[in-house]
Amino acid sequence: MGQLFAAFGLDGSLLLAQAINFGVLMVVLWFVLYKPVMKMLEARRQKIAQGVEDAEKAAQKLATADEEASSRVRGAEQEADSILTLARKSGQTERERIIKEAEARSAAIEADADARAKETAAKTLRDSEKEVARLAVLAAEKVLRQKAS
Amino acid sequence: MHKGVTVELKATVLGHLFGLPITNSLLMTWLVMAILIIFAIWVGRNLKMIPGKLQAGIEMAFDGVIGYMAETLESESLARRFFPLIATIFLFVLVSNELEFFPGVGSIGIFHGTEFAPLLRAPTADLNLTLALAFISFFTIEITGLAMLGFFKYAGKYVNVTSPVGFAVGIIEVISNLGRIISFSFRLFGNIFAGEVMIAVAGFFLPYLLPAPLMGFEMFVGLIQAVVFSMLTLFFIKMAIADPHESSH
Repeated sequence: MGQLFAAFGLDGSLLLAQAINFGVLMVVLWFVLYKPVMKMLEARRQKIAQGVEDAEKAAQKLATADEEASSRVRGAEQEADSILTLARKSGQTERERIIKEAEARSAAIEADADARAKETAAKTLRDSEKEVARLAVLAAEKVLRQKAS
Repeated sequence: MHKGVTVELKATVLGHLFGLPITNSLLMTWLVMAILIIFAIWVGRNLKMIPGKLQAGIEMAFDGVIGYMAETLESESLARRFFPLIATIFLFVLVSNELEFFPGVGSIGIFHGTEFAPLLRAPTADLNLTLALAFISFFTIEITGLAMLGFFKYAGKYVNVTSPVGFAVGIIEVISNLGRIISFSFRLFGNIFAGEVMIAVAGFFLPYLLPAPLMGFEMFVGLIQAVVFSMLTLFFIKMAIADPHESSH
């Protein structure tokens, strides 16, 4: 057995040294490589999970915002409709009122003009009657003067 | 100088430090450790939320390995607990195996009189390291089994007096578990050492062309051995924590 060990160069202290070497290597790698990498993997996993969650929340918010916007547009349309009909109605009544007023005024103006025309005509007639009478008197005078001479 | 192919079954002792023989494979072990630790510090310091290509690759590998381990062990927390061991076995064996093919390893050395002693030798081509790894693997497996199942349940896997067949199965189980130490250590050692010998022989006969494809193949073998060592450790852990009554059905 001892010969066999010697043939392979087996040595208790070397065996122990190599085992310690491996142990040291494992511990060092554990702290400088394995742990940090694992931590980084875990941190990234959490970050991705957070990102996915945030994206879902954002999508939900977007959906509710869309809904709100469309409901607001609907409300505004309805309001506009009611305002329009109101305006139409008030416009109609205003028009009718204006027309009525205008008609009344034109009727009054017409009546006034009529009356004035009649008065003028009557006055003209009266004037002409007077003239005719005067001319008749003048003519009669002329005739009488001729006859007298 | 020597002629022909010299094959050293064991690592060469270059000197002694506080009674500890410093072999060329021990030197190389420290080199491998230094490379891995520097790389790990560099990667660990430069981790970013938005990863670069290297970080993305490393993260993908980590995620993949943990996923596979969780599937095998049927537990995410166990996978996370054993990940450092499995990953370190893989990285250490892989870098040791692949570094062997870098120029200078085995060719740069010192002369002891007329005898040439290379400064660096693949750590996995030295039974001391592979046996140390095998022991670590073995004790991890057995202690995990003990801790997860409890002493009596775990011992019941090996000492079973309910029936003669059960008793024999228990004995076989003990032997096969102890055999893992040998199979673990000699599988890795044998593969890497044999690769070195093969390349040395090929280089002796046809030094300029033949070693290249063999080196490519041996690099592949080195990767496979790293996978095998870590995967077997994982599977044996799974077997150790499996409930004996459930697994027998």
